[in-house]
Amino acid sequence: MKGVKIGLEIHEQLDTKSKLFCACPTDYREAEPNKSICPVCTGQPGSKPFGVNEKAVNAVIKIAMALNCKIVTNRPVQIRRKHYIYPDLPSGYQRTSEPIGTEGELNNVQIHEVHLEEDPGRFFLREGFVDLNRSGTPLIEITTEPVFDSPQHAREWLEKLASVLAYLDVTKKEEGTMRIDANISLNNGSKVEIKNINSFRNVEKALAFEITRQEDLLRRGLIVDRETRHFDEKMILTSPSRKKETEEDYRHMPDPDIPPLLIKKELAEKTKETLPELPQSKAKRFVKQYQLSGQNAENMVSDPYTADVFENVAKTVDPVIASNWFVGQLKKTLNYNSMTLRDSKITEKQLASLLKLVERQKITERAAELTLREMVLRPEEPAKIIENLGLLEFGDLNTIVKEILDKNEKAVNDYKTGRKEAFEYLVGQVMKITKGSADPETIRKALKRGAELK
Amino acid sequence: MKLNEKVSRYLEKIPKSKLNAFISINKNAEKDAEKIQRKIDTNAAGRLAGYVLAIKDNIAVSGMRLTCASKMLENYVSPYDATVVKRIIAEDGLIIGKTNMDEFACGASGETSYFGATLNPSDEKRVPGGSSSGSAAVVAAGLCDVSLGSDTGGSIRCPSSFCGVLGFKPTYGTVSRYGLVDMAMSLDQIGPITKTVSDAALVLSVINGSDGMDNTAIKTKEDYTKFAKQKITGIKIGVVGEFFDGCDHNVEKNVRDGVEILKSEGAKIVDVSVPKTPIAVPAYYLNMFAEFSSAMQKFDGLKYGFRKEGKDLNDTVAESRSSLGEEVKRRILLGTYITMKEFRGKWYSTALKARESIRHEMRAALKKCDLLAGPTMPFTAFKLGDKIKDPVEMYLSDILTVSANLSGLPAASVPLEVKGMPVGMQLHADTGSDGKILFAAAAYERASK
Repeated sequence: MKGVKIGLEIHEQLDTKSKLFCACPTDYREAEPNKSICPVCTGQPGSKPFGVNEKAVNAVIKIAMALNCKIVTNRPVQIRRKHYIYPDLPSGYQRTSEPIGTEGELNNVQIHEVHLEEDPGRFFLREGFVDLNRSGTPLIEITTEPVFDSPQHAREWLEKLASVLAYLDVTKKEEGTMRIDANISLNNGSKVEIKNINSFRNVEKALAFEITRQEDLLRRGLIVDRETRHFDEKMILTSPSRKKETEEDYRHMPDPDIPPLLIKKELAEKTKETLPELPQSKAKRFVKQYQLSGQNAENMVSDPYTADVFENVAKTVDPVIASNWFVGQLKKTLNYNSMTLRDSKITEKQLASLLKLVERQKITERAAELTLREMVLRPEEPAKIIENLGLLEFGDLNTIVKEILDKNEKAVNDYKTGRKEAFEYLVGQVMKITKGSADPETIRKALKRGAELK
Repeated sequence: MKLNEKVSRYLEKIPKSKLNAFISINKNAEKDAEKIQRKIDTNAAGRLAGYVLAIKDNIAVSGMRLTCASKMLENYVSPYDATVVKRIIAEDGLIIGKTNMDEFACGASGETSYFGATLNPSDEKRVPGGSSSGSAAVVAAGLCDVSLGSDTGGSIRCPSSFCGVLGFKPTYGTVSRYGLVDMAMSLDQIGPITKTVSDAALVLSVINGSDGMDNTAIKTKEDYTKFAKQKITGIKIGVVGEFFDGCDHNVEKNVRDGVEILKSEGAKIVDVSVPKTPIAVPAYYLNMFAEFSSAMQKFDGLKYGFRKEGKDLNDTVAESRSSLGEEVKRRILLGTYITMKEFRGKWYSTALKARESIRHEMRAALKKCDLLAGPTMPFTAFKLGDKIKDPVEMYLSDILTVSANLSGLPAASVPLEVKGMPVGMQLHADTGSDGKILFAAAAYERASK
């Protein structure tokens, strides 16, 4: 899209056992409201931060490294206070660090900076209820340069980012922990920020709405205000936020309770060594090592678990056949059931056995598909599923075809003299017996081969 | 005397006192006394067994009100103990009550409390000094044995000087601030107010030391009681000329006499200079206002404390905050202004630079000697109402105490033997050399008796 400039700010919870500035656990989802709390994370008078959770700092360094950032090691990193008043913010300020990583890059998108901050609690406006279990949970904030030229580009990149985070294994796994602010300007006009979007699809939708809205204003000769807006998921539109705050209002200042962080160069270097193979390089390796298509490779590496299972399956099954199944039927079946491969609990061994049957043409593709559908729901050895479902293996099909050909000599002869209806009759006979467990194409092939031998 | 008898006597005496020095009394004091006495009887008691302590009402004691002498927290009951309180209780110290103070520690006279001014035990028409007004007054008046105060710009030393007791502000980080309600976080420090040096050393020995709950607490644990017994022969005391500028003649004379006594005890006296003393007050106030406005942000009436409904969220916060006193509001407004300007990199950072230059000068002076000596306050306790209408004049009275906070140094006000209103001699030492102050103070105490 011409003249569209989009930048993203991504907030994701870090997977630490305790909160950023106190010893409370971060598993607030399981806890009753206001049970995972203490004087520190509820802002009781006189409480002080215990210090900065080192695991959270290390997690940010790891992510910054994976996003090819420069780690700030040459100067102290201050923890700063950002002041505003809201019921979910017990101390009246949010603590955020100065950038820990800067000038990064992922998939040709420039990362402006990466830093650490604390999550506020949760305010349920309608109920007038505040739950402070979340208060003080460590967050990473990743800010990109305004380099996306379309809502779709933004969404696709977010998926890449999510994939990298999944590989690093230092962020929360639960759904819906990621929150995104998107800023957008048209033709270098005013920047509008859409706050607190909770999914990649909604980022795309919110931005698409915003482009339409702004284009409409511009077409009518009106001005786009520089403002903060919120995305309404149900109405699929954005509306201006009531609160208007400037940076000055936040009164940013260094937190006097917390000495600045000093990140050692050696720590940054050591962290780099511990980085796992990341999706981009893994995809390249898959193409080279297994002769996969680039598309198949990219598709499979987006989830580290799937990539690992694939590699193990590829030890005993032809990698190309396996990858086609991974990105084809397997993915389709999992998506249909809204689950991931990990959720399905299918074992590598089960998958490998099934794909071996396909590879050796022991079962038809159709039968394999049906087996897979069952396997996703109730994982078991494929042989057992095939038996339970009464599915045919290839050997059985050939026997049936032979039987039918033997029984229907007249039809075979008619077919050989060029009568198409006769062949369709034979196909129908086989299908009747196989009850749909073999696909028509396989039956046709088997019949043709069988008839020719006659 | 058994502890329960001692406590009963205090409990009888306190309500009769007109000083208005306590805000809350520990309802379990007599029960606590019996418990501790049983330990004393079986030789199982801690180091503070037998001591009756009062705690400034900006330090959290679980189950007791933590008012900060403000309407905002009039009914706030602390759900937890400050680290210093935990340590006192662990050593069997008995907490008798919470003391009056300037509201949220904002004041140098003890007059800004929502619960009314504290009076000076030496002259009830005069202020006791602030902000730890009650903590100094109760010790001076014999309403308890020792007390804890907090010191951000002189809040322990000023009232100690005005009431004639020993007030000790340790090196920043020596005592955990966990449970001390924030005033200016980079300056706040808890310390003892006592009648004797050995009591100060004992209390300090109990409360100091690293704490996982305060990131600024330094990682040591010291026994200060040994310092109170050392001789001062050969110790070098620097008398700071600038500390006497604009000082009352009577105060100057008493302090110089005090220095002479230390000399006669074997100390070597030298003259030193801290020329930047005049910028200490503006540097301090800018710094403190900025941090204070941030610290006060949590008192919004939404979670705890005084609440008055408004037409919307912001209005409710504004209405609730209207309960704060004039001096507190003034400081919040000034601090808010400063921190808003800070976004453009102006005032707070400049104040921090000024602070750094004062720290540099103070420590340079302490390279030439072991202790710096001078008056704690430029004058003795003034009359109630004399300065309260003129905030700038009140602020200027902190000129001699704020440098210790700005520099993170330990400093104490040592009560001098005087006729008339009490005068304090202030001693500063270098970071971590708190013990040197104690043994000089002990030498003075021995010589003057």
